[in-house]
Amino acid sequence: MKIVVTVKLVPDPNSEKKIDPNTKRLVRTGVETVLNPYDEYALEAALQLKERAGGDATVTVFTMGPEALKETLRKALAMGADEAVMLADAALEGSDVSATSYAMAQALKKTGFDLLIVGGLTDDGSTGAVPGALAEYLGVPCITNARKAEVTGGALQVERETDSGYQTVRGPLPALLTTALTFGEPRYASLKGIMGAKKKPIAILTLSDLGLDRPVGTDGSKTQLVNFAPPPVRGKGKTIEVADATAGAHAIFDFLKEKKLV
Amino acid sequence: MNNVLVYAEHRGGQTRKVTFEMATEARRIADALGGKALALVVGAGSAQLAEQLKNYPLDTIYVNDDADVDKFLLDPVVDYVEAAAKAAGPSLILIPNTLAGRDVAGRLVARLGAGIGADVTDFHIENGVVTCVSPKMGGALITTCALKNADYAIATIRPNAFSVAPSATGAQVQPIEKPAGKTYSAVIESDVDEESSGEMALEEAAVVVAGGRGLGGPEPFDTLLKPLAHALGGAVGASRAAADAGWVSYSLQIGQTGKTVTPSLYVAVGISGAIQHKVGMRASGTIVAINKDGAAPIAEFSDLMVVGDAFSIVPELTKLVESAKKEAVS
Repeated sequence: MKIVVTVKLVPDPNSEKKIDPNTKRLVRTGVETVLNPYDEYALEAALQLKERAGGDATVTVFTMGPEALKETLRKALAMGADEAVMLADAALEGSDVSATSYAMAQALKKTGFDLLIVGGLTDDGSTGAVPGALAEYLGVPCITNARKAEVTGGALQVERETDSGYQTVRGPLPALLTTALTFGEPRYASLKGIMGAKKKPIAILTLSDLGLDRPVGTDGSKTQLVNFAPPPVRGKGKTIEVADATAGAHAIFDFLKEKKLV
Repeated sequence: MNNVLVYAEHRGGQTRKVTFEMATEARRIADALGGKALALVVGAGSAQLAEQLKNYPLDTIYVNDDADVDKFLLDPVVDYVEAAAKAAGPSLILIPNTLAGRDVAGRLVARLGAGIGADVTDFHIENGVVTCVSPKMGGALITTCALKNADYAIATIRPNAFSVAPSATGAQVQPIEKPAGKTYSAVIESDVDEESSGEMALEEAAVVVAGGRGLGGPEPFDTLLKPLAHALGGAVGASRAAADAGWVSYSLQIGQTGKTVTPSLYVAVGISGAIQHKVGMRASGTIVAINKDGAAPIAEFSDLMVVGDAFSIVPELTKLVESAKKEAVS
C-alpha cells in the first residue's frame, strides 16, 4: 500500500505574519519555514496506518513550494516517512485554490497512491477547500475529518467528526482522507530517524514533467487579492477585583444592562 | 456571472440560521448583478425547508428529497449543486462555512473551474465584479479578494456575519431532476448526533458562554454554564483545554482548531485566553471574562474582566438575569 501525505511549508506560526504591500503575498524572508503543524497530524495518521498494514506499505510526503525550502521536508522523513516528492516551479507562484489543487493533482497522478492523506487545516491563508478540489481532480472519494481510520479488504473504514457529532463512513481505495486533530498527537523524531532522514530521497518535479492542459500561477487563478488590512483594534477593557460573588455578579449584570445585552 | 445560488445545508429539514442569512444576502447580490436569486434543498425533509425558504426573497427554490443524499458522503450533494448551477447559468454559489460546506465548496471549485472566497463576512459589488471580505490568519488580517476569470464562483459564508430579513416575494418551488449516470463511493454507515436537538448551533448563537481549564471538570459545564447560557438565550462553548481533557465534545470547541464564533456577547469562564482560543472569538461584540487570575491574557481583549471565583459568581449572575427576564415579561 502506497500512502502519500501532502504537507504544506509555512512560515513559523509563532512568528508575526506580514504581507508584502507590493506583491500582496505573505512575506517569507527572514522567517523560518516549518512543516505546517497540523500536517504533522496527517503524517502521524499515515505512519500509524503504515505500521498497521505492515508488509510493503510506504509513506511518501508530498509538497508544493520553492525548491529552496526542500530541506524542511527532512523533519517529515525523520518522523518516519520513506521518501519525499516536491513540486517546485516558479510558474506556480500566485496560484489560488483552483490552480494549486489542479497542479498538485497532476503531480499526485504521477507519483500514484492508494491512500492520499491531506492535513485538514493550515495556519496561513486557509480556505479549507483544497482537499475537496484535489479529490475531484483525482477522481477519488473524499473522506474528511477522520478521527479513526482502518484499511480492510481494499476499503477504507473511517470514523469522522461532523458539525453535530460523528459518522462512520466506508469507501473504496484509492481515496483521499483528511484527519482531525483527535486522530493522535504527532510523534517526535528519534535520533535514529533524524540520522536516517539524511539519506532518504527528495525528488523534485517541475511543471514540464506534468503536461498541464490549463494555466496555473497568477494567470491560472480565479481570484485576486485586492486589499488587506489589520482588523479594528480591540482595546483592553476594565479589569475589576471583587470582594465577593454578589459584587462580581452585580458588576457583570450592570455592565450587560448598560450595553443593553440583558 | 449574474445569478446567485444558495446551497441550503440541513438535516432532515432542520437548518441553521446561516441558510436564511444567505437567502437574504443572495437577493442583494443578485439585484446588484441584475440576476436571479436561487436556492437548492436536497435530501430528506427538503419540502419542509423549501416552504420555510419561501419567506425569503428568492426567485426559485430547487428541491429533491432524494434519499441517496443522506446515504452517501456528499457525492450526491455535489452533483446536485453542480446541476443546479448549470441550470441557473453563470453564478455565484453561497455555501455555509461549516465542515461539510467546506468539502462541498472545494469539490465544486474543481467541478466548475471556479474561484473561491472563503469564510466571507461581506461582499462588495462594483461594475459587475464581486469582491469578498474575509478575515485570514485567525483574524490577524482582513482581506478583500475579487472573483474573476470564470463563469462560476464560490463563497463559503461565515455564520452570524450577515443579517436575516424575511420577505416573501413569491419564490417558485421547482423539482430538480436527479443528475443521471452518477456513481457514489463513500457510504455513510452510521450517523450520530451529539448536540441534543433543540439546542442552538454554537456558530450562530447570539450569546456564547464558554468554559475552560479553570472549571476543573465536566460537571460545571452542565451545572454552571448551561443555566447561564439558557438565561441569556445562548449556547455553551469550550476552550481546547476543556475539549482535550474530554470534559465536553469537540463540537463545542472554540478556537483555531475548533469553531469560530461571533456572538454579540461572549462570556469566558475560567479561560486564560491563549492565542489558540482568541482567534476563534476575537470578533465577538462584547467580551466578558471571569477568571481567578487577574493576569490571564484574556484581560487584554475583554471589555470587562472580573477577577474572582466563577463557581459562586456565575449562579448569582444567572439569578439576576432570570429575574430581570421575569420583570420584563410581567
